[in-house]
Amino acid sequence: MKSPVKNPNEQTTSLPDISGRDRFDLAAVLSGLARRQGITAILAIVSIGGLFLFWYVGTRYHLDFYIRFKNVPTPYDVLQQALEVSRTDKFLVNVVNSIRRILLGFFIAIALGVFLGLLVGRYRRMSELVMPAIEVLRPIPAIAWVPMSIMLWPNNEAAIVFITFIGAFFPILLNTVHGVQSMDGVLLRAGRCLGASEPQLFIHVILPGVMPNVFTGLAVGMGVAWVSLIAAEMISGQYGVGYFTWEAYSLVNYPAIVLGMITIGVLGLGCSGAIRLIGRLTMPWLSYVNGDKK
Amino acid sequence: MKAEPINIIPKDKVTTRALNSVANKGLVECRDIGVVFGSGGSRVEAVKSVSLTVNPGEFVSVIGPSGCGKSSLLSIVAGFTKPTSGTAALDGAVIKGPGSERGVVFQQYSLFPWLTVRKNVEFGLKMAGVARTRRETSARTLLGLAGLLAFENHYPDQLSGGMRQRIGIVRALATSPQVLLMDEPFGALDTQTRTVMQEILTNMWQQFRISVFFITHDIEESIFLSDRIYVMTARPGRIKAEIVVPLPRPRTAAMTSTKEFTDLVQQLKALIREESLAAMGTELTSGGVTGFGMEVGPEGVGNVL
Repeated sequence: MKSPVKNPNEQTTSLPDISGRDRFDLAAVLSGLARRQGITAILAIVSIGGLFLFWYVGTRYHLDFYIRFKNVPTPYDVLQQALEVSRTDKFLVNVVNSIRRILLGFFIAIALGVFLGLLVGRYRRMSELVMPAIEVLRPIPAIAWVPMSIMLWPNNEAAIVFITFIGAFFPILLNTVHGVQSMDGVLLRAGRCLGASEPQLFIHVILPGVMPNVFTGLAVGMGVAWVSLIAAEMISGQYGVGYFTWEAYSLVNYPAIVLGMITIGVLGLGCSGAIRLIGRLTMPWLSYVNGDKK
Repeated sequence: MKAEPINIIPKDKVTTRALNSVANKGLVECRDIGVVFGSGGSRVEAVKSVSLTVNPGEFVSVIGPSGCGKSSLLSIVAGFTKPTSGTAALDGAVIKGPGSERGVVFQQYSLFPWLTVRKNVEFGLKMAGVARTRRETSARTLLGLAGLLAFENHYPDQLSGGMRQRIGIVRALATSPQVLLMDEPFGALDTQTRTVMQEILTNMWQQFRISVFFITHDIEESIFLSDRIYVMTARPGRIKAEIVVPLPRPRTAAMTSTKEFTDLVQQLKALIREESLAAMGTELTSGGVTGFGMEVGPEGVGNVL
């Protein structure tokens, strides 16, 4: 978490000819950094706190102005519900099931999306062969795949993972393709005249070169994967956070609905945060592009 | 600084032997090269029957107006494109594709941004299957001799343009090529940095003594660096003149103000000017070089109308 933020300092300290100013600069940069981080934290608290405040005020005074808060549970009700579900491991089983499905679908989407994306991006014939089919399938939302998926796969579990995969696959594929196609040709030529064979070019030049695009695809794909997963679980699931939320609605257990929603939000946030973190750790060089940290 | 002994850099008698064997290699021969883009109505003849030679250990420049096909020539020798007619050969073997026996330095920054400076220099050796410790030592030695060792762990985006091109040259040299192909390597740099880079390059060349095939449109640059200069005509590019630079080696910045140097500059300028005018051809039909057809004055066009 720390290392990408520290990088700009390393840059100034390792340039040899400003050693006299070094220490002073470092202190100034650090305090500036601390202040910026502080402001970031405060704004985050205000942002999330605002949501809670709106929710609290709405339910406290039974706000009825176009939107109706009459049946909406209060934050306290939801907290009670959270404590109640945490007494058994039923809720935890739901969460674990959702995460397992997400990871499975997502990793299959990464493997296939990046592999196919590299080939499609690199070879025009491959693109002409694959892209028409992709362009037809892409506008179909993952939710629309639910009935077909249940028909296709032997059990619900496989069907749900498939729908999650569908959601994540297209953003990852298209970002990879775009990354390869927009890659600076001089890097490919440099690789070739340094003796790289075609397979070596893929592994050592094209793949690292498209990693930033792949990670953009992963971030988008992860969001779509969650949307798809929850929809699939609501319609066809056993277990899972989506199933939990829909069941709560069927049983008229309002606090559980909100608890389910918050859980989905937190899990989604955690997943995209993890992707960003992994991205920064695997691509430390990105923080120097354009002479500034991104 | 721990500089492990390594057999890349000439130092004494061990390396003079190596030098001699290298000195016989790096012969670039272009025979009757023609390049044609497109066909039918949009057919453009970029290069027309160009023959040139770079002798082993010789620094040769090709200079000409923009669009004269000088970069096409380099791209053919590098193996990126095939000539429409004629052949290019290195040490007698016809060039069929890119290869590490011909190091290329590009005009654009071509370091891999995801690799540190040292890993960039190691890249060619890695492709050749050299073991990690050996290529690390080679890269550090080369960077050390180029005075760049302090930056081995930096990423290219942390460095200035001049630094990146110096590392680009070192990277191209790391695979011990027979010839270095340079396509306006300092074209993207500002004038001050350029002059310094030219000195660095001529000093580097003095140490390596490998063949260099250098493309430029900068007259002073070509004279300062080269043993021989080919002047190309406007499109379709042909060889207009071949000029031997009589200046002694090693070259120094002071030489640029000698009469010998300035005379050469004048001679080349005259040759190039004709071609630049020809190259701009139709762009310059009415009122071209005079700048504007009539006296306007600082009041602007409003008063004229």
